[in-house]
Amino acid sequence: MFNFKKIGLMGLVMVFLLASSFLIVFGAEKPIKLGFFAPITGPAAADGESCLQAAQLAVKLLNEGGGINGVPVELVYYDDAFSPPQAVSIAQKLTTKDGVVAVVSGSYSHTTRASAETYQNAKIPMISAYGVHPDITRAGDYVFRQSFVGTVQGRAAAEVAIKLLSAKTVSVLHVDNDFGTVLAKSFIETAEKKGVKILSVDSFSIGEREFTPALTKIKQENPDILFMVAYAGEGAQIILQADAIGLNCQKLGTEGVDSTMQFLKVAGEKADGLVITTNLNRDSERAEVQNFIKAFTAEYGYAPDMVGASVFDAFTVLGYVMKNYGASAQEIQQGLYKVKDFPAVTGIIKGYNKLGEVTKTVQVQKVVNGEFHYFSEITDPEVVAPPTL
Amino acid sequence: MLLQQIINGIVVGSVYSLTAMGVTLIYSILRILDIACAGAYALGAYVGLFSYVATGNLLLSFLIGMIAMGVWGIFVQKFFYLPLLGKSPLISLVTSIGLFILLGDFIRLWAGPLIRDFPTDLKLPFSGIRTENLTIMPVWILVLLTTAILLFILWYLITKTKIGLAWRATAQDLETAKAMGINVNVVVAFNFFLGYSFAAAAGIMIGIMYNYIFPTMGDVPAYKMLAIIVLGGLGNPVGAVVAAMLIGLIETLVGGYIGFFLPRDSIAFIVVIIMLLIKPQGLFVRKNI
Repeated sequence: MFNFKKIGLMGLVMVFLLASSFLIVFGAEKPIKLGFFAPITGPAAADGESCLQAAQLAVKLLNEGGGINGVPVELVYYDDAFSPPQAVSIAQKLTTKDGVVAVVSGSYSHTTRASAETYQNAKIPMISAYGVHPDITRAGDYVFRQSFVGTVQGRAAAEVAIKLLSAKTVSVLHVDNDFGTVLAKSFIETAEKKGVKILSVDSFSIGEREFTPALTKIKQENPDILFMVAYAGEGAQIILQADAIGLNCQKLGTEGVDSTMQFLKVAGEKADGLVITTNLNRDSERAEVQNFIKAFTAEYGYAPDMVGASVFDAFTVLGYVMKNYGASAQEIQQGLYKVKDFPAVTGIIKGYNKLGEVTKTVQVQKVVNGEFHYFSEITDPEVVAPPTL
Repeated sequence: MLLQQIINGIVVGSVYSLTAMGVTLIYSILRILDIACAGAYALGAYVGLFSYVATGNLLLSFLIGMIAMGVWGIFVQKFFYLPLLGKSPLISLVTSIGLFILLGDFIRLWAGPLIRDFPTDLKLPFSGIRTENLTIMPVWILVLLTTAILLFILWYLITKTKIGLAWRATAQDLETAKAMGINVNVVVAFNFFLGYSFAAAAGIMIGIMYNYIFPTMGDVPAYKMLAIIVLGGLGNPVGAVVAAMLIGLIETLVGGYIGFFLPRDSIAFIVVIIMLLIKPQGLFVRKNI
């Protein structure tokens, strides 16, 4: 005769044993905490969400792959609402209360720049995923950058304009924040040095949607190239309105418009022919790139963009460093300097220099039939070399 | 090029005038600055987009968006502003800012933070002009026509109908109008319905014209409306239209000829500052205030 009570009891004991053995294997050690912040609400909420999703995907994949030598990773994330003061108080919270060993910024330059010093003072390594302002890494030796600095991209864009698009005259239209001014300035300096004539420089603020006044003026100037440093929303408007008023010159953009959902969908077929500098080469045959695009699309139902890819990379680099050099803040900081030829989604990371700047090649993509495709790659060491000061 | 820039300016101005109309109407009756009207502008654009996707009929989605926001306006005045009437206008101002933020985040949670395209495959019965030196897009004509029609309807309602008479009386003096037996509550509700549906129409039109909408699209109108209604002489519908056109033109011409030495959105406020120095009561003064 079965004794149900006995069986039930045995079952319970077995479940308990199983659970505890599982705990010993995986959960007994406290998870390693990684901090993250992004503008999840506010005017850049779309980028913020894309970044958060990429961060969660990266952490999920890290844990599925066994964590950091068996220890799981936990993501501690905050919304900076696009506000520097908010980013600073998040930095204080992450460094004093949350006990994170490293932080990834999925935010823009102004917020990242404002909070960089707090991480430096707390000696918690922080990687800026896609902030372009040179001052970010100048905060100290605990601050790193995963994407190339704005000056590098500006130089690369000038290279594209001159060598690939053989421009002699350029009109510049840029967004008037850290991103736009840094890129435009470095582009103009490089281009002028190489004999390109800059016909006009106009700026606009984030959220602008009326570009016909400036574009009508630019049409009169009849440049070889319109260099536009804009984000997806404004960039799409520039493309659409330039077409509307018949400004048909070649357009050159930057990573700011590198978004399938928000830029290509709005600008539609009018974006065809646009060339941009970015860090994501969607046509790359490397497994890292294709696996990421596949995993992201499967998880969230839309194609990843450049900001998401950059955040994802920052976490994979952290994962690699923690696995190989240890998972304390100090070990991670030292480990990051030892990274060499790491295959990331946004290109091969040749390494981080003393300033914490990454060295990698700049991708040049062209819009063909409503999709970004490989056009060229800027590898010239003189162009892609990051600043050391 | 001058002609092109003037046309650009008029198109921009006519959208501004619709956007500012809601706030103007509300100010004229209740003397409160209703920032939340810019929330109706953004939410109206989303309602319009979703009903367009669902029905495929542009006129219908205009109506749905306008009516939905109009009803929301009635709700807002009944439950938020009327209870605050008679208190310091600062309280209603803070309320309206709160409502505005609430709406923005509601849209973000409901529709997601991504920029959305407004997939209209417009088949307009007229074509634009496109020569070497001059472009008039068909959608600009649509915007100008819609604005003209809506402003005409507004003018007709206010000057030729009974509710319009009640509206004018209430705008002159709410208390006296009440004493004369005018049902002020109905007038105020009607007023909010109109104001919010105009804001929704402006939002939908912006969405079509630029082919994109996003949750924080109301941010810039929220403060630019202020410049327009101050310039137009607080609460004067005609003044608001003239001021909107003026700001649209000045912005365009400054951008086209001088360049954006300052963010474009600041130009409206420079105009207001100059105006306040020269003629502090605004372009069109309401004699009865």
